[in-house]
Amino acid sequence: MPGHNNSEGIEIAGFERFLKHGLVLISRHTSSLLLFIVFCVVVGVGIFMMGDLHTATDQVQHMYAGSVKGLRGIGELQYEAQETRRATLYALTTNNSNLQVEYADQSRAADRLVTDGILRYVSEARTPREVELGQRLQQNWADYLKVRDEVLASILEGSTKEAVDLDLHGGVPSFERVRQDLEEVKRHYDAQASEQMALVDKSSKRSVVRLMGVLVFTFIFASASIWAIQRSRMLNAVRLAKLQMDFVASVSHELRTPLAVICASAQNIADGVVDEKEQMAKYGSVIRHHSRQLTELVNQILLFAATHEGRNRYVMRPLKVPEIVSAVLMNTRVLVEEAGFVVEEHLGEDLQPVTGDFTAVCQCLQNLVVNAVKYGGDHRKVVIRAFQSVREDLNRYEMRISVEDHGIGIDAAELQQIFEPFYRSPVVTAAQIHGTGLGLALAKNIAEAMGGSISVVSRVGVGSRFTIHLPLASSVGAETTTVQRVAQL
Amino acid sequence: MIVLVSAILLLEVSPSGALPAPNASDDTLAIIVNQANPIEDLSLKELKIVFLGERSHWPNGRRITLVMMDPGLSERKAVLRDICHMSETEFSRHFLQGLFTGEVFVSPKTLSTPVGVRKFVFNVPGAIGYVRASDVDETVKVIRINGHRFDEAEYPLRIDVRASK
Repeated sequence: MPGHNNSEGIEIAGFERFLKHGLVLISRHTSSLLLFIVFCVVVGVGIFMMGDLHTATDQVQHMYAGSVKGLRGIGELQYEAQETRRATLYALTTNNSNLQVEYADQSRAADRLVTDGILRYVSEARTPREVELGQRLQQNWADYLKVRDEVLASILEGSTKEAVDLDLHGGVPSFERVRQDLEEVKRHYDAQASEQMALVDKSSKRSVVRLMGVLVFTFIFASASIWAIQRSRMLNAVRLAKLQMDFVASVSHELRTPLAVICASAQNIADGVVDEKEQMAKYGSVIRHHSRQLTELVNQILLFAATHEGRNRYVMRPLKVPEIVSAVLMNTRVLVEEAGFVVEEHLGEDLQPVTGDFTAVCQCLQNLVVNAVKYGGDHRKVVIRAFQSVREDLNRYEMRISVEDHGIGIDAAELQQIFEPFYRSPVVTAAQIHGTGLGLALAKNIAEAMGGSISVVSRVGVGSRFTIHLPLASSVGAETTTVQRVAQL
Repeated sequence: MIVLVSAILLLEVSPSGALPAPNASDDTLAIIVNQANPIEDLSLKELKIVFLGERSHWPNGRRITLVMMDPGLSERKAVLRDICHMSETEFSRHFLQGLFTGEVFVSPKTLSTPVGVRKFVFNVPGAIGYVRASDVDETVKVIRINGHRFDEAEYPLRIDVRASK
């Protein structure tokens, strides 16, 4: 038993099996895969564009927080500076001390706002240019305030002429310097805003170019994907149509041959060509043989249709493997003998029962035996083996029933296709070996319906071995324990 | 009362450090000058000269600007009574005559409210005025009279509260 396990395990390595399984999945789900890739590309593009837009928004916000707010702040400073001076000059226009005090108060309230604004500008200054501008503005504003205080004092004292003189000689020039400083700060902010605007514009253009590029790429990729999907579907449809045509031709041929024999035999009997008893018996035997062959063919087709559509209702129960093998050999005895084949049985000792439907499992194994005879070549020997082995991926024991021949073998490229319905190898078609292309598909469907699988190892010119993998009737938990125990030993 | 307490607290934190007024009451008249004025103390006699416009400049050279409140207000009445020893009519006549003859150098500015007086004094370095003790804040400086702070019992300038009411 362990020797069987090792040899079977070596035949198909785990990685190779996984790779083959992956390739089969890919070939079956090409459309879904392509659509998934398109989806991923679109999502990727979306994320990319979101990132780009986020960057642009950040730049705009930065620009607003920097230059635009700065410009607005400078505008307010300019207004309040003018208000400081305006209120001072208003005080000149009246002799009412109460009003003069009120104007002085307004002037001081405005100058506090300007002073605070300048302090804020200086504290937020980043570049040397901004620091230099801020300090100069601060100094010039302080100079102006000194003059303004003197002017206010003179006005309140009632010395209007002195106030005017002070303002003309000190206030006007110092305020002009402040005004120029504020204008310079404003120009500086303007320049900054322009630079940042150019950056935003550049970023925006870059985003548009990227968006266009990505859209074009997505469009081309999506078009290519759709084309590939359509082409794949078309090829599948063409292939299916060809398989069906081949099937019809094959079935017609398979039907015609026995029908022709039956007709010819019946015609001979009807024409009285055959009148001896021995000859009559021979003709009867021929008619019965070909009638059975026809019935078998029709049954096979009907069974495949039922299995394929899932209409079969199986009676699952524990089955003894020797009984299955024996029944199959009984059913195929005539075929095997007529073909001159010898069947060797190698059944392991203490084989545990398997779970399945007896008729279905027999049909499955029978198809393999019939194929072994059909494609067995000149060696004319079929070997049937049955043994228990560990299924590594499920960590449990299973029953393996293999049918081995030493015939023409199967090309590696065809191994994935031989289980497809209606598929017939060009090699066997050319060799005039008759068949419907349903036997292996039917066997595979049955094995899977029984909770198992079917595998094949083949080499051209050497032979083939098909193995049915069936679950044991015992529970999985108990099997797992057994496997672990064996592994420890 | 709340106003009074607020004023007292304000005076206590005054940066000038001149006159915290724990005992200052609403009937005390404070004489205020600009913070830049170096004057700390004046006698009643000197104060009379100043308030009658008979002195033109402070020792630091700044021109004196006299600030009075509107006629009829109790603060003004107290100044006329306790400093100038004149009635309203005599005070007006004094300035009309003095300005005409050149004996008076300063024409008083008249303001309607204590806040106006305070702001005026704050804005004019040579200004001198008066407000109730409760109207004083840190923007102006209160001077001593005859060596007494306005929160001391010997402080000579009081407002006739009954008259003001």
